[in-house]
Amino acid sequence: MDTGVAAKIQDIDNSPSLPMTGAAYLPGAAYDEMIAHGGDVRAHYAALQSRISTLGAGELADRQRMLERSFLLQGITFTVYGADSATERIIPTDLFPRILPAHEWAKIEAGLTQRLQALNMFLADIYGEQQILMDGVVPRELVLGAPSYRREMQNLYVPHKAYANVCGSDLIRGQDGEFAVLEDNLRVPSGVSYMLANRDASKRTFPSAYREAGVRPVERYPDLLLATLKSMSVDWRPNPQVVVLTPGVYNSAYYEHAYLARLMGVPLVEGRDLVVHDNMVYMRTTTGLRRVDVIYRRVDDDFIDPLTFRRDSSLGAAGLFNAYRAGNVVICNAPGTGVADDKAVYAFVPDIIRYYLGEDPILPNIETFLCREPAQLSHVLDNLDKLVVKAVGASGGYGMLVGPHASAKERSDFADAVKADPANYIAQPTIQLSTAPCLVDGRIEPRHVDLRPFILSGEKTVVTPGALTRVALKRGSLVVNSSQGGGSKDTWVLAEENGHGNGHNGGGHDAR
Amino acid sequence: MMLARVADSLYWLGRYIERAEHLSRLSTVMLNATLDQTDAGAEAVRIALSAVGETELKAGAFEAAKGLVLDRSDPNSVVSSLSRARENARQVRDQITTETWERLNLLYLKVMDRNAGRDFADNSVTFLHDIIADVHLFKGAADTTMSHGESWRFMMVGMYLERAQLISSLLEACFAEDSPKVNDHLALVAMLRMGCALEPYLRVYTAEIEPRHILEFMVFDGDFPRSIRFATSQIERHLSELARHVEATGRAAPERLAGRLKARLEFADVGELEAQGAGDLLTTVANECARIHQAIYETFVAYPLEMRLPA
Repeated sequence: MDTGVAAKIQDIDNSPSLPMTGAAYLPGAAYDEMIAHGGDVRAHYAALQSRISTLGAGELADRQRMLERSFLLQGITFTVYGADSATERIIPTDLFPRILPAHEWAKIEAGLTQRLQALNMFLADIYGEQQILMDGVVPRELVLGAPSYRREMQNLYVPHKAYANVCGSDLIRGQDGEFAVLEDNLRVPSGVSYMLANRDASKRTFPSAYREAGVRPVERYPDLLLATLKSMSVDWRPNPQVVVLTPGVYNSAYYEHAYLARLMGVPLVEGRDLVVHDNMVYMRTTTGLRRVDVIYRRVDDDFIDPLTFRRDSSLGAAGLFNAYRAGNVVICNAPGTGVADDKAVYAFVPDIIRYYLGEDPILPNIETFLCREPAQLSHVLDNLDKLVVKAVGASGGYGMLVGPHASAKERSDFADAVKADPANYIAQPTIQLSTAPCLVDGRIEPRHVDLRPFILSGEKTVVTPGALTRVALKRGSLVVNSSQGGGSKDTWVLAEENGHGNGHNGGGHDAR
Repeated sequence: MMLARVADSLYWLGRYIERAEHLSRLSTVMLNATLDQTDAGAEAVRIALSAVGETELKAGAFEAAKGLVLDRSDPNSVVSSLSRARENARQVRDQITTETWERLNLLYLKVMDRNAGRDFADNSVTFLHDIIADVHLFKGAADTTMSHGESWRFMMVGMYLERAQLISSLLEACFAEDSPKVNDHLALVAMLRMGCALEPYLRVYTAEIEPRHILEFMVFDGDFPRSIRFATSQIERHLSELARHVEATGRAAPERLAGRLKARLEFADVGELEAQGAGDLLTTVANECARIHQAIYETFVAYPLEMRLPA
């Protein structure tokens, strides 16, 4: 997975740990999702907080166990291979939902819709007329030289100009309480099944608080996804055959692929199930070959077609890309979308929004220094101890320097690497992520969280009112990636503002 | 319409589930029979091991049973069968209902648990009883929650094909001409239990336990779900449904082979069987099942593409 970290300024290691759950929850210096600066419970957390305070440590532990049990039963697991046996582990999941009030969500929703619209217009442009490059808004070599830029996509018709049909953007909330976009994921973002599974679990864990809070439902996501995928071929096939393409059962996100296929009611195919003949894509069924119209692929660009991209790939189908070029099948997300979530291009997204939409960005970026610019490079080198420096091409926390945590030697080594190839690096200030209450070893403690909402874009652009909240379960850690000990929790988006804990509620509201 | 790979997985899911159930039952009956120090106990062990293709008892009955159930290096053990069943189910997770999946996953986690060996040693009868009961829950969940369409039918074909083969090798262990004759009352009762046939048998033939009746019941009974006639008629039924949508099936079409086997069992009777010896018919059943298996592959799963490409 991608990085979910800017880094950290101040440890919460120093905040006192709580001996028991009944005691006060004491957040550290970061913005806390539940407790306001003065120590009051934020209004939108009132229902949950009062429910939690009536539960003892034992009851909470029981609920946590019940939650883990249900994940294990459903097979929402990954396999850990040991010396003589393989054991199944669940992805760590915290039982307390993270809650967002309606007005905050309204801004996020508007901001993400605006952002994805602009990014899709950007993709349509750079794979078409390249007007934005001619106008010098984004440096030409930055785009055309990016490894994720796919020349093969040039001048290819993409319905609705919707290149990134499924997008999962990572948002973080800084100390001022404002959300900012840390990165966009336009390739094959994952995690939506955890959003749905967490919701299912939290309804069983806190049914009354859920009802009282007036939470907006996320369960329509699979139909909306299917509608989005179908909308990509409506102008040439009235009732398209949609499939989900998975790398297979050993992929860490396999559960999600199967889950989405099952809930959309469409076949889950692997590369070996597909046959390309005369630029048409077919799948091998028990009754012969059957035409495929839309492929929701969960396989990276590089692997979808050995004839066009990586030759050693057996995860795709030979000839798939030609069939796509011929307009006989739609691949979602379109190949080459990665160029718009490139770490260096990221710095230009606010300009991209202004350029295409003539609007100011609703959600800000994190301030980003491009080492390719000499002035910014010297600023970065002078402030290595305060910045997070990232390699443009890398993800998943690799090729990254977290200045405040690094030793002097690590910093000087990294400075040499940056000087040798400045174009390959960007830097951002360290941002303290907000915290939310989590149950850790029987105690309720603050842990850093981020927010990954999911945006669908086809004929229409829709933001599902919910998100995956990723949690850094290690004390004080800002790393939320699942590969590095991160977990997740449900995210409640409220239908309307609640009063100040006075029982006024939006129960039974379905926002749409 | 379903993917060929998916049909393959569902077919094997059915086979592995049936195998796990049958082996658990052989093991529990074998362990039970050896509680009494009688010849019947030794006979039951011989029948059970011979039914799974082992010729001699290497260690004690308990070790033999433990191997059949928990040996992960044996591809046919209960734990291996359940692991493979689950692996297949995971590959077609989108095709089976959550209820069905959860039963299998739960059972898998139970037999893969690090304490499984200890639980088996502590109380093997309860352990095996629970496995069989869980398999029944799985089958019940599949029956009551899945649509009885193509997915379910492929699972059923796998299950009944496996069953026909398992029951015929159990019968061969007792009634083939080259097997030692089994006359001991208790050994025959144990054999009926291994086929899960004791109670249904008693309702038809009362407590007169006769080899001739057992053979008649387990081969020809039309209502008993583990008789070979019942299993073959189910195979034929599901395959005919499945084949309806396939064009261009050749002479070796699986539903034709299944129909022929079914007819053969319809029009044979126990008198004939006794006259010629049961071995022949049982061998025919095993061979025909293998041919049907092959034909299923050629028709539904690994067919040559040239035949099916659009003109």
